[in-house]
Amino acid sequence: MRVATDIGGTFTDLVYVNEDGEIGVAKSHTTPPNFEKGVIDVVEKSGVDYSDIKTFIHGTTVIINTLTERKGVKTGLITTKGFRDVLEIARGNRPDLFNLMYQKPQPFVERFLRQEVEERLNYKGEVVTPLREEDVTTIIQYFKKEKVAAIAVSFMHAYINPIHEEKVVRMVKELWPEVAITASHEVTKEWREYERTNTTVLNSYVKPIAASYVNRLNNKLEEKKTYSQNYIMQSNGGTTTFENAKVTPINMVESGPVAGIYGAAVLGELIGEKNIIAFDIGGTTAKCSLINNGEVKVSTDYYIERDERKAGYPIKVPVVDIVEIGNGGGSIAWIDDARSLKVGPQSAGALPGPVAYGQGGINPTTTDANLVIGRLSPDNFDYSVDMESVKAAIRDKIANPFELSVEDAALGIIRIANSNMLNALKLISIRKGHNPRDFTLVAFGGGGSMHAPALAKELGVRKVIVPVASSVFSAWGMLMTDLRHDYIQTFIRRLNSIDLREMNAVWEKVEMDAYTQFKGEGIDESNVLFSRFADIRYLGQEHTVKVPVPSGDWTAGTIEEVINSFEDLHEQHFTFKLEGTATEVVNIHLTAFGKVFKPELKKIDQRGLSLEEAMIHIRKVYFEDHGWMDTKVYERNKLGTDAVIEGPAIIEEPSASTVIYPKQVLTIDVYGNLVIDTGVQ
Amino acid sequence: MAQTVKVDPFTQEIVKDSLIAIGDEMFIALAKTSMSPIIYEVLDYASGLLDSKGQLLTQGNGVTGFIGMLTFMVKQTLEKFGEGDLKPGDIIIINDSYGGGGSHLSDVGLVMPIFHEGEIVAFSANKAHWTEVGGKDPGSFSNDATDIFQEGMQFPCVKLYDEGTINQALVDIIKANVRFPDLSLGDLWAQVAALKTGEKRVKELCDKHGKETILNSIDYLLNHGEALAKIGLRKLPQGVFESEGFIDDDGFGNGPFKIKVKVTITEEKFIADFRGSHPQVPGPVNCSYTALVSAVRTIFLALTNPSQDANEGVFRPLEVITDKGSILSAERPAPVSIYFESMQAGADLIWKSLAPLVPERLTAGHLLSVCSVVLSGNHQDTNEPFLIVEPSVGGWGAGEGQDGARGQFCIGDGETYNVPIEVAETRYGIMVDEYSLRNDGAGAGKYIGGSGVIRSYRAMSDNQSISVTFGRNKFAPWGSNGGKDGSANEFIVEKANGEKDGPYGIYARYPLNKGDVVKLITATGGGYGNPFERSPEMVLNDVKNGYISLEQASEDFGVEIDKDSFEILQINRK
Repeated sequence: MRVATDIGGTFTDLVYVNEDGEIGVAKSHTTPPNFEKGVIDVVEKSGVDYSDIKTFIHGTTVIINTLTERKGVKTGLITTKGFRDVLEIARGNRPDLFNLMYQKPQPFVERFLRQEVEERLNYKGEVVTPLREEDVTTIIQYFKKEKVAAIAVSFMHAYINPIHEEKVVRMVKELWPEVAITASHEVTKEWREYERTNTTVLNSYVKPIAASYVNRLNNKLEEKKTYSQNYIMQSNGGTTTFENAKVTPINMVESGPVAGIYGAAVLGELIGEKNIIAFDIGGTTAKCSLINNGEVKVSTDYYIERDERKAGYPIKVPVVDIVEIGNGGGSIAWIDDARSLKVGPQSAGALPGPVAYGQGGINPTTTDANLVIGRLSPDNFDYSVDMESVKAAIRDKIANPFELSVEDAALGIIRIANSNMLNALKLISIRKGHNPRDFTLVAFGGGGSMHAPALAKELGVRKVIVPVASSVFSAWGMLMTDLRHDYIQTFIRRLNSIDLREMNAVWEKVEMDAYTQFKGEGIDESNVLFSRFADIRYLGQEHTVKVPVPSGDWTAGTIEEVINSFEDLHEQHFTFKLEGTATEVVNIHLTAFGKVFKPELKKIDQRGLSLEEAMIHIRKVYFEDHGWMDTKVYERNKLGTDAVIEGPAIIEEPSASTVIYPKQVLTIDVYGNLVIDTGVQ
Repeated sequence: MAQTVKVDPFTQEIVKDSLIAIGDEMFIALAKTSMSPIIYEVLDYASGLLDSKGQLLTQGNGVTGFIGMLTFMVKQTLEKFGEGDLKPGDIIIINDSYGGGGSHLSDVGLVMPIFHEGEIVAFSANKAHWTEVGGKDPGSFSNDATDIFQEGMQFPCVKLYDEGTINQALVDIIKANVRFPDLSLGDLWAQVAALKTGEKRVKELCDKHGKETILNSIDYLLNHGEALAKIGLRKLPQGVFESEGFIDDDGFGNGPFKIKVKVTITEEKFIADFRGSHPQVPGPVNCSYTALVSAVRTIFLALTNPSQDANEGVFRPLEVITDKGSILSAERPAPVSIYFESMQAGADLIWKSLAPLVPERLTAGHLLSVCSVVLSGNHQDTNEPFLIVEPSVGGWGAGEGQDGARGQFCIGDGETYNVPIEVAETRYGIMVDEYSLRNDGAGAGKYIGGSGVIRSYRAMSDNQSISVTFGRNKFAPWGSNGGKDGSANEFIVEKANGEKDGPYGIYARYPLNKGDVVKLITATGGGYGNPFERSPEMVLNDVKNGYISLEQASEDFGVEIDKDSFEILQINRK
């Protein structure tokens, strides 16, 4: 049996698949600060027998929480002489252009704990100044005195030659074995000293916390006599072992959210959809990601605490490309100083939550608006909903100022929220040169299925899929993962004058590194699969395009093929190419999968109940362009694969609701997924 | 049962958001494909949408310095061609320094009319700093030009595309007149692509909502901006505020030049009157009226509502008055290469006069200068020519409740990124010896001024040449509300033979040979409040971190600290 557990802000989810391909689901409360307790709770609740668990996969927010709550350990930095302030100067940018009181992000290491040693490499990786070892010894003494608990080492040009970093790591391990340490080349081999140094510092900052968390979880599982292979979900959409996770915990920074995106790709493979827009609406945010030809896009352009007004902190580890906006079920609707209606990014959160929860919330939210216009049923909540106070909130705060009816105000909130989400969906599709008609929207999370059919129609997507287990879809995604590691190496060469022997040697080396790492994780070479990419640009450009490139030995013909692929992608993304202009590789990127066995999913019964039997009731629902319409509401788990439902209709399941618009048609596939034809031609 | 939902305020809001999203898309597209670091790292460009009359609807900005210029570009286009001579597929190129959205010749603007059902509904436009537009010096903008003709090619509002057909003759002329044609033309194509994206999206929007709705929404957008600006205006102190200051010099040793402003704030108007400022000067430090307007707009936004998306409506209450032909409103053929120094000096006058009155929005004085550096030579390994064109980070002033930012670009920049050392050393013929905080202890106060930065470039080949334009070299950033002044921008040269030269502020083409080091040192910002009011624990922390010295802790802050144990021994604040 494979079991996946995903820790979220409020709930810890569990999804399992047994040897017969049957899926099971459980939910239990998240238990901070002892998150492992919530994991054990949910396993008990699911009724899974510990001894049956063969594979245990875990997603956790412990890393991102440690970072955003500043709960990591006291960290010291060892860096090249002349550059201790790189971490504080950062990039010097001020995104909040017209705010003259802008405050830069504070570095995670204060200046007195940023120490310099004499050493220097040039851009070719040649030693210009040898490492002065006395400096290192002195710093170690100083850090001990200051009670530092973790050390980060980041030297100039270490991405091309880690010789001095390796030496410092050896010295620290010898002189102070108990301190946590990270050298920059261990977490990223890309150039740009600020980004690399910050990534290294953050890894050290969370390392002892991650180790203790993973150890506690491991002990709990051992106590319960679980003899499973244990894996942790990483931000790149694959897993790694518990041991590895303790070494580079920064790779877990987006552990949970990416699993849903990956799950959408796996689901697509299962049902023959290669082009997918994955769309996840939670309580406070909506997230989306585009999967082109089955490939989940991963990049190292990741930041925490960054938005259009804040510079944030870069983390150069591979993370699935996700666009996230502050619009979820709990997003608050408000009117700005000049009388424009806005929705989000402020959220009512889990507490007090929407007005509907009756927990003290007084500001109308997207969820409240969905209730007023009948898209959500007050009967489908854990709380008893007082519709009068929900309506009153929308009337007082939104409808009256605009002199509108309550339902028009509520519909306005939905339309503004949809417009925000639509802009995010366009950002990843049309604006990247993709035609939405070629894509299927996979909607999940608590609110995904409610908004997706309308958004898909607007965006020009023909088909929407609401998967089974859509409200715990991240955990479902984890269940389907393989082990994965990404190896990215800055390697700057012009393509037309590249030394093929050197190029092939570099590819071979990273592939050997991958085999070695997988061997340590118990994966045989025969189960390792590689995909190669190269980050390429026209000579003179800064930004690169990630280009899938061929495996095996490269020849002159390969180079030509690579250049052509690059130019096609450049044209797709940016509408033009510059034929004849020299091209340059900046990074090579190897994605390595360690394939593990997964049971085949079971198909559901052909026939469900009749539509009449599956129907809960008929209620009035308010639609754009139609007003109030009598709408049939069905219970999802009573529908079989023979069901065909025309909109307007609503499909309800615990903690989610799917809204089918007039002229849209719903069917159900053999795995129980809802499939909606949006009416787009 | 069914009833129709009437046109409502939300559709306008949605169209408004779509227009802003289009502006963002055009903006990002340009950075991603540009060939010049000055565009993709410094983000020294702007792009946006304007209505059929040239009113700004939405502008994506990388820097503050371009806010307002797109309007003047489009108005000039309309003036020259009229609606009749503009056709679908036309793109106009313009870099007029005095009229149509003028800054300096390096900033090249493109304008494209967008048609729907045979009529112009909007314009898409952008303006970007090209690394090269020819002229007497590499990098084009020259700190010792004496007239506009030395500063590069002039594009006097002409058609680059005529109904979709490229004007190849013009492209060939550009190619022949700039030093790095791949860079300049690469940027041109990136700009064209971004404009076409804007055109496509606006057309889609028109097809979807219909022209009437779009035009309604445009009015709504502009009125919304104006309403927000007026709300901000009413929160400001009302009255007349005057201040004076100086621009260092003009690159020829002339100066300092006195400038002055009288600001009048009422509930409806914000008037900045610069009459009485110094007449235009022989060196290239002059700025044109349109550039000054952009600088004033920046301060106006900072004061009224920094969080809004700027459009023409926002600026309706704003008025800028100058004499003709002053250093802040130069006329042809005055050189304007380093105009950004004067335009920011103009903004700084308003900033300084209002800082004590609006401490929640304005800090003490900051480095102010773009601190631009142009370094050219040949790479030591490839022998290929290289060209660095970059601004520098420095210190910002402290404000109520916060220390000044350490190492940040000046007000005229914004979402501007420094070039990483590892990238610079790969691409250019230099090594960086040091990139560190200056920590000179200037700008003492209850909140301390942000430290400037020292950046040392070591030449790795012979016959390199560096032009440095560091303003605010003679007048340090001002302290506020009892805080002390900061320190000046300057650079010194340490030659391979041990000789030292400097400090200088503005210098054209300083020769560097292999092993020579140029130390670029930027200003520390002004302090805020009396230093004796800084908490002793913060002073202790400053000392521990090396931001101030032990001696200074005692002298300026009245806190005596033990040098070994880092304990506070005595507080002496009489």
